[in-house]
Amino acid sequence: MNGISLTRVVASVCALLMVSVPAFAQIELSGSYAPRLYEDYIERGPGSDLGDFTGMPMSDEARAKALLYTSNIPSMIERQCIAQSPWVGMYRPRGFKIWSELDDAGRVVAWIIGGDNLRGTITIWMDGRPHPSPNAIHPSAGFTTGKWEGDTLTARTTHVKTAWIRRGNGIPASDQSTFTIHITRHDDLLTITTIQEDPFYLTEPHVVSRVWQFDPRGDQSQEGICNTAVEIPYLEDSGLVPHYLPGQNPEADFMIRTYNIPKEAALGYAETLYPEYRKKIRGLYVPQPSCDRYCCGWIERQGLPGGAPNLSCNDGGFGVLGPRGRRAIGK
Amino acid sequence: MCVVALVLPLALSSNARAQAPSTGSEQAAGRGAGSLPTARANAPIDLSGYWVAIISEDWRWRMITPAKGDFPSIPLNREGQRIAEAWDPAKDEAAGEQCRAYGAPGLMRGPTRLHITWQDDNTLKLETDYGMQTRVFRFGSTSAASAARTWQGVSAAQWITAAGGRGRDGAPRFGSMKSVTTQLRPGYLRKNGVPYSASTIFTEFWDVHRQANGDQLMVITNIVEDPDYLQLPWITAIHFKKEANGSKWDPTRCDARF
Repeated sequence: MNGISLTRVVASVCALLMVSVPAFAQIELSGSYAPRLYEDYIERGPGSDLGDFTGMPMSDEARAKALLYTSNIPSMIERQCIAQSPWVGMYRPRGFKIWSELDDAGRVVAWIIGGDNLRGTITIWMDGRPHPSPNAIHPSAGFTTGKWEGDTLTARTTHVKTAWIRRGNGIPASDQSTFTIHITRHDDLLTITTIQEDPFYLTEPHVVSRVWQFDPRGDQSQEGICNTAVEIPYLEDSGLVPHYLPGQNPEADFMIRTYNIPKEAALGYAETLYPEYRKKIRGLYVPQPSCDRYCCGWIERQGLPGGAPNLSCNDGGFGVLGPRGRRAIGK
Repeated sequence: MCVVALVLPLALSSNARAQAPSTGSEQAAGRGAGSLPTARANAPIDLSGYWVAIISEDWRWRMITPAKGDFPSIPLNREGQRIAEAWDPAKDEAAGEQCRAYGAPGLMRGPTRLHITWQDDNTLKLETDYGMQTRVFRFGSTSAASAARTWQGVSAAQWITAAGGRGRDGAPRFGSMKSVTTQLRPGYLRKNGVPYSASTIFTEFWDVHRQANGDQLMVITNIVEDPDYLQLPWITAIHFKKEANGSKWDPTRCDARF
């Protein structure tokens, strides 16, 4: 083999290696991000209404379990610090920080999303390692691997713990839940899409897309600060697990009587997620004559950092962040 | 020696667009003497086809018409709030303005199917069955200043091609579409009269994510900027699932109430 052809061979091999080696970092994700609570504000701000399962493709089993839920459950000492789903941030008002772990060659081995008191720090392994055995331990953050698809970081999370899917009203998820996650940065916006599948509690993949914005002050990651305390005296050392018996949840029809929402929509049937459902309820749904609770959402934050000055809004006294809510808390 | 190899992928990358698979007409348009490749030939993602909105977020405000004055999540200013609280669908109907909630910034969050096709090599067309609206996205230089204000406005589009995603050697192409829509006729962000003004600039980033089972999701990151009625940009993301065909396409006219 002469020198020229050897050069060609080596160059070709090197080129092939470079082409085939996974891209370790397409774009820089590091930084702090603040949430933009311009969707599902009630859930992500003051908290979900009980019995509000709208937008969810729930199984009958999930519905039955969710309707046993009472908001006293998280007040039990042994349940106050149970870690929530690693991707529960999609339903919470929290910012976070992302950083990378590098190997000796400076390549990104993992992207890290900082956790908080109720959510474990998520490590997205980028080094090609496989997911562990199905029988391996399920840590609070699950196990996540990722790869770049262009400028989108696509990740997959398995090995999660049993947790609630959304925030604060008992929609269950099993430890067999898996997540596919797409993280895309456009300018200073970070869009995260999660596709959750659960063989027990979801009848189809549950898709949610949210936006965060790069903000040096946006990080709200906090570790190890979940302190337990007796919140409901009668539960202390009682052995009681708060719950509603099947068919006895007084909030099961809350959304129906409060917003005139059809029962199948309030209780999370998959058909209600698609346009044809709207046509099915034409003539059946009648909006309330006026709004009387949580009407203004974001505007309730007036007077708080980033809020709008000199605005008033009828929130019916329910918005804990609103002026009346703050006064009530102060009493 | 590997310096040569270091250069090679870059060279491959720079030629990727010309080598990417394309139709005959695109090839003709893209490789003619002195002509620039068309937007269609350059597309790093395929937005065409039928897509259905998955209303898994803000269900109560997107799937049905919420009560008057019910506008959480939207950073309205005082004037925007005043207008929202004065919403009167009967007045809109009388004025022939029943499509106010079907302007681009409100329409895209509605319970709709989308049908996206190439109108020509540099123009993407988006149709909705909800309200029977049509918006076109023009690639390349376009002037919106003299255009009439319409519900769908004037949308200027560009591809954002991801590094390493230019389809070399048949590899997948990656990227996004960015569109900026102006010249909007004043309308509603929500069905219950939450307003946006003629000054609104509507920016969208369009991404397509292919799932392991072959399903495709289109995720659109939206930014509505309205100096008249919003205190801050209204930033959201919405998602659509690709459908195999138009068998569920069901056009319905604008409705000011439901």
